Amino acid sequence: MANTRPQISHNGGVTSTSLNYAAKAPKINRPNNVAVGTIVWLGSEVMFFAGLFAIYFTLRSVAPEIWAHGTSVLNVPFALINTLILVSSSFACQAGVFAAERLQPRSTGPKPSQWGMVEWFFLTYALGAIFVAGQIWEYATLVSEGVALNSDAYGSAFYITTGFHGIHVIGGLIAFLLIIGRGYAVKNFGHKEASSAIVVSYYWHFVDVVWIALFLVVYVLR
Amino acid sequence: MKSNISILWILAVFCLILAGVYTFWNVIDPAHGRVEWVGTVALLLSAILSGFIAFYLRLVYRSQGGELPEDNVAANIDDADPEMGHFAPWSWWPFVLVGGASVVIIGISVAQEGNFWLAWFGAPIVLVALVGWVYEFYRGRFAH
Repeated sequence: MANTRPQISHNGGVTSTSLNYAAKAPKINRPNNVAVGTIVWLGSEVMFFAGLFAIYFTLRSVAPEIWAHGTSVLNVPFALINTLILVSSSFACQAGVFAAERLQPRSTGPKPSQWGMVEWFFLTYALGAIFVAGQIWEYATLVSEGVALNSDAYGSAFYITTGFHGIHVIGGLIAFLLIIGRGYAVKNFGHKEASSAIVVSYYWHFVDVVWIALFLVVYVLR
Repeated sequence: MKSNISILWILAVFCLILAGVYTFWNVIDPAHGRVEWVGTVALLLSAILSGFIAFYLRLVYRSQGGELPEDNVAANIDDADPEMGHFAPWSWWPFVLVGGASVVIIGISVAQEGNFWLAWFGAPIVLVALVGWVYEFYRGRFAH
């Protein structure tokens, strides 16, 4: 028996045009590419630190006796104060972002409420630099107490996690210097400058949150 | 942007559930019997990775209400051609930067007994290139 179905293929037996929507261009309101791109990159940084946390927890679970010795020499009150310094730098950074969003690079008076982005970022820089200096002092103390990069598995895990975080903080400090420089160099502080200040603040807050996680794991959970 | 946000949240929840399943399975497995930290941490932070980007996109969506052509049935393919941002077509600084970075990396690779002498020659090039690139449009003809 012959196939009686009509042969309808695309544009074969069809006489009408395909479904057509309004010809007007749709309203597209794109987010800031720099900001979204920075967040996606920070997402990849989450996975970078995931590797470091995995190293730490794996070694900790297979060598608890090394951990018992290594964590006993940690100076927790000192690390807590250093943590608070880093957290306060995030607040200073955010105040700088608010100034940048007001498109105000420089201060209009001595009061903090009149500070511009540059002043707040200098404060952020100082607090971040104190944190790094504190880390270096802590490293020197720990090495003198026998916990070094090459002493045992605990030393390796401790220095690779906190050390990579420290390198991130130093990178952030360099970024702040470049943004502060832009604040001075630019004649008309606009959205491009504000954008770069905001994405550096994203990075800084991220590094801050990573440190809080590191502090909880390395100093509190041990 | 709504669909992107939903997909990322679904991924976050999926990774979170898998982290629980993976951890639980390792613990009850008599051949293993303890938490396998690499997988647990990786799955947990994969959830954070997705949730983090979803959370941010949600904030952006709420503050500007952006609709991407992907969300619009009436959009055409070329509506999605993005504005890639601000790039100087003639800038030599990226070239200088990768050149300097290469010298630094080679210096670290060929270092013997911790002697990074070649890397120290690359470091100033990196510094100059970085400053040059960041301030390319803040000096000279295109200062603004």
